[in-house]
Amino acid sequence: MSLNETSLPAAGRDLRWPFGLAIAVLACCAPLLLGSYALHAVIISLIFLLPAHGLNLLVGYTGLLSLAQAAFFGVGAYVSALMAVHWGTPFYLNLIASGLFAGALALPLGIPALRLRATSFVMCTLGFVIIGQAVAKNWISVTRGDMGLSAIPKPHFALGPASFTVSGTVGFYYLVLAVAALATFAVWLIVNSPAGRNMVAIRENETLAESVGVPTWRYKLVVFMISAAFAGLGGSVYAHYLTVVSPLTFQMSNSTLMLIIVLGGGPGTISGVVFGSLLFVGLSEFLRIAPELRMIAYGFCLLALVFWFPKGFAPLITRFWTLLRGRS
Amino acid sequence: MLFQISEQIVNGIVTGAVYALVAVGMTMIFGVLRAINFAHGEYYMVGTFGAWVAIEYFDLPYPIAIVAGVIATAFVALVVGQFVMQRMVGAPAEAGVLATLGIALILQNTVILVFGGGYKFFEGGYIEPVTIFGISLAEQRLLIIAVAVLVFFGLELLVTHSRMGKAMRAVSQNVDCCAVVGIDVRKVVVRTFILGAALAGLSGVLTAPVNVSVYGGMGELITFKTLPIIIMGGLGNVRGTFFAAMILGIAESLVATYVGLQFRDTVGFATLMLVLMWRPHGLFSSQARY
Repeated sequence: MSLNETSLPAAGRDLRWPFGLAIAVLACCAPLLLGSYALHAVIISLIFLLPAHGLNLLVGYTGLLSLAQAAFFGVGAYVSALMAVHWGTPFYLNLIASGLFAGALALPLGIPALRLRATSFVMCTLGFVIIGQAVAKNWISVTRGDMGLSAIPKPHFALGPASFTVSGTVGFYYLVLAVAALATFAVWLIVNSPAGRNMVAIRENETLAESVGVPTWRYKLVVFMISAAFAGLGGSVYAHYLTVVSPLTFQMSNSTLMLIIVLGGGPGTISGVVFGSLLFVGLSEFLRIAPELRMIAYGFCLLALVFWFPKGFAPLITRFWTLLRGRS
Repeated sequence: MLFQISEQIVNGIVTGAVYALVAVGMTMIFGVLRAINFAHGEYYMVGTFGAWVAIEYFDLPYPIAIVAGVIATAFVALVVGQFVMQRMVGAPAEAGVLATLGIALILQNTVILVFGGGYKFFEGGYIEPVTIFGISLAEQRLLIIAVAVLVFFGLELLVTHSRMGKAMRAVSQNVDCCAVVGIDVRKVVVRTFILGAALAGLSGVLTAPVNVSVYGGMGELITFKTLPIIIMGGLGNVRGTFFAAMILGIAESLVATYVGLQFRDTVGFATLMLVLMWRPHGLFSSQARY
């Protein structure tokens, strides 16, 4: 939890540990409390948390609005799927390779894209998604086109003589929880490092940041690569969870969902994004009770968000937090 | 060979004219609101459905269906403009993206809810072929080109000479100053929005006979086609948008014939990226503004 750390007085910090512990206990007990469908929704939202974390670094901390996350998400999913299907490599290797590959791919794409001004940059990143989908559809010898890749093995771990396969929903939940927790910790480290402060400086005033000696161009490029790497990790877990990937992984609505998670949760806060991913993926799953009205209701939710919570739900959490602190 | 190329170019010009009609509305809306309208293709879809309903349910002839489609779009745009877009003046870019995505979802799925998600046959239009300079064309395609030329001529006059056009240009330059000198910014925004959406609706009705089928999700593709065009044309630049739309239409037509139909829908963004690498501010603007 890192909600505006600096603005909290010292007395408030004591509450962080019990509160964090409660969330950790709750997270560990979730399979006992939730039905299998709700658990599935939580798994999906934890998977989408990974690209959302990356996007938050880009949008929330550095101030670059991007729609490219679904492209790197898809690339990560395909890298994992191809490695697992053709070479039979273990899960953790696929996961790391997906992250690295997506991050490396962001370098040649980011160099021309980051030269653009705000709106043009958004469009260019949207183009990555459209072109990624076209490649997945048409590079049939590798991706099998619209048929996609199927029978991706479930994560399998072998430590000496002991080995086990994560197959059930509960097992997968803990695996995803571990990956998501590690990723959240990694983001926390980045954000609270001097680099994180430089990112905020770029967001607030790029020219000023440049003038006080922040290498803004290099920062933007590296943050773009890191955000892509997070998306790649998410794609990898997604591929192993669903055991199929298709060109639909590159669909535009994935990018917009990730953007909604960040903007709706609260850009520039970690807890806001965690909350956002649970809320918006959960909402989209919950609305399935009325399939005809589902997307209409979702659209109205977006409008409500824009008009009533223009800064996302993070301010709401902050208010709750101060309330809690005031009582102690 | 040469004949085939010229036929493809003429086809491309027709496609380009359709894109130009949709994109010019979006670029004008961007000009006054500074917001990318991710729901723009949905107005194209609403226009088409308006005409389809007029023909299917009320048995009206095609010319009246055109008017019906445009009026339906203008009405939807009036509602959306009053309740949503008006409040987007001066809002951050993120708010515009979320709000217009929300509107796109609502419009698209409401139409699917009311009329069903399946493809519908659009009956109407002028499909008789005409032969000009050895190239055979459906009358409808000639109509599209003619309307596009007329609309652009009209817009040029409107923007440069009319009171509303001047107000639009003023708002696109500086919102605060307009408020100071007494221009009702919100009114200008809503009017521009309705005009832009109605143009998208008009192009939807005009294209429907060529596409033959209509369906609720058809707007999304149009939005994605239009986005690279307005960027290439230099955001807010009406003339630039016209040329960018033509270039894209012709490029798509040639790629579909000589490279492969499946690559057609990526031409826009691929071209956009090449153009932006070479000129980061678009083809027709002298400096990068957005």
